[in-house]
Amino acid sequence: MYPKMNEQDKIDILKDILFAEEHEFEKKMAQRLELLEQTIHEREKLSEKVDPIIAFQINEFKESIPDTLGPVITETLKKQIKINKDAVVDALYPILGKMVKKYVAQEMKLLSEKMNNQFSFLSFWKRKFKSSVTGQNESELMFDNLASAKIEQVLLIEKDSGILKASYSQSQAMDEEMVSGMLTAIKSFVEDAFNQRNQDLESIEYELYQIHLQSFATHYMAVVISGNFALSAKDKLQDVIFDFYNSFMAMNLDLVFDTKNSEKSITPVAKSIIEKELSNYFSNVKI
Amino acid sequence: MLKSKKIVVLGHFGVGKTSLIRRFVTDTFSDNYTVTIGVHITKKVVEISVDKTMSLILWDLEGTDDIASIRKAYLLGTHGAVFVFDISRPSTFQHLKEDLRIVTEQMPDIPLMVVGNKSDLAEESELKNRLQENSISVDFLTSAKMGTAVNELFLKLATLLSSDA
Repeated sequence: MYPKMNEQDKIDILKDILFAEEHEFEKKMAQRLELLEQTIHEREKLSEKVDPIIAFQINEFKESIPDTLGPVITETLKKQIKINKDAVVDALYPILGKMVKKYVAQEMKLLSEKMNNQFSFLSFWKRKFKSSVTGQNESELMFDNLASAKIEQVLLIEKDSGILKASYSQSQAMDEEMVSGMLTAIKSFVEDAFNQRNQDLESIEYELYQIHLQSFATHYMAVVISGNFALSAKDKLQDVIFDFYNSFMAMNLDLVFDTKNSEKSITPVAKSIIEKELSNYFSNVKI
Repeated sequence: MLKSKKIVVLGHFGVGKTSLIRRFVTDTFSDNYTVTIGVHITKKVVEISVDKTMSLILWDLEGTDDIASIRKAYLLGTHGAVFVFDISRPSTFQHLKEDLRIVTEQMPDIPLMVVGNKSDLAEESELKNRLQENSISVDFLTSAKMGTAVNELFLKLATLLSSDA
């Protein structure tokens, strides 16, 4: 005999029979939900799933920036620059100012020289007119113009000690040995103060004179120039200095090596010979 | 052939380096104290013997209490050095040995003259005692003011350099 069932029991049994599949589905759903909850709450697991998606989205975004955001950014920047022009300039100047300044200065110098050359036809007529009025030879007048920068003095100086090795001078107006020492002291001070022993002081300006300094291994040359010492003149002067160094100085070991410390036997070069060479190289130079 | 040699003159503040050089080069002296800033360069040609002369390029370096702080660039290529102290101011010779060690370390293998200047400010016996007390040996006791032993000092250095060359 079966126990007597009430209505509720009957309904439950019926439910089991009718919703068996639904129960199974519900169980699976619960398991999946639990797994999903775990994934969301555990960073690493979530990262595994989400990162590739985000990475893909970011890549897509990056590629689309120029087309989508580019015009917006450009427009915004334009507006901001218009509104806060001074602020933008202030912000950029420290970075770009120096670069621009140096570049512009160099370019202006070159431009100025080019313009001078362009207007040289004016000088031609001016010279012709002056020649006819004064009776002075036209070639002499031209020479006067060309000799605007003039080499006054050339000193060949031992780099460390400041001892003058040789000199060439148009006029003996100063004590060259003392000047050599002083130039060396100034040069040493500047190079030492800026902690840049691998960089050299290249020029000193003194009223109407400019002193061009060209350094070599153990010696340097100081060339005193009067008049307009333009960039092109500097180039020419450097060519002459390098010529002198290559063809004469490099051959004389006494100038290149310290005689005390060198193991080689060295024949000292007489000062008079060096001075003769200096004169040959620098007396007729037009810069 | 006239040889040129670089001589550096160094020492503490106000020991009379500039005065020594001035006395040697122009044979003058001034009581006005002017501080040397950086370096001052002068020149004098000395006659070592009848047929031998030498051009001394004198680098008068600014005085400093810390000898180690002297700009090394100024010492490069030096042929001879003069270290000056003031015999009337112990602070200028109290650390003489250490100062000289620094100098010789910076400029090895060159003649170095140790000079006690302002010798006119003390009696000779007192001077000797003072030097003995501090175990100091000097090459010359000079007085830039009176001109005592100044020429001898530089001539000795030039002679040393001449035989060295």
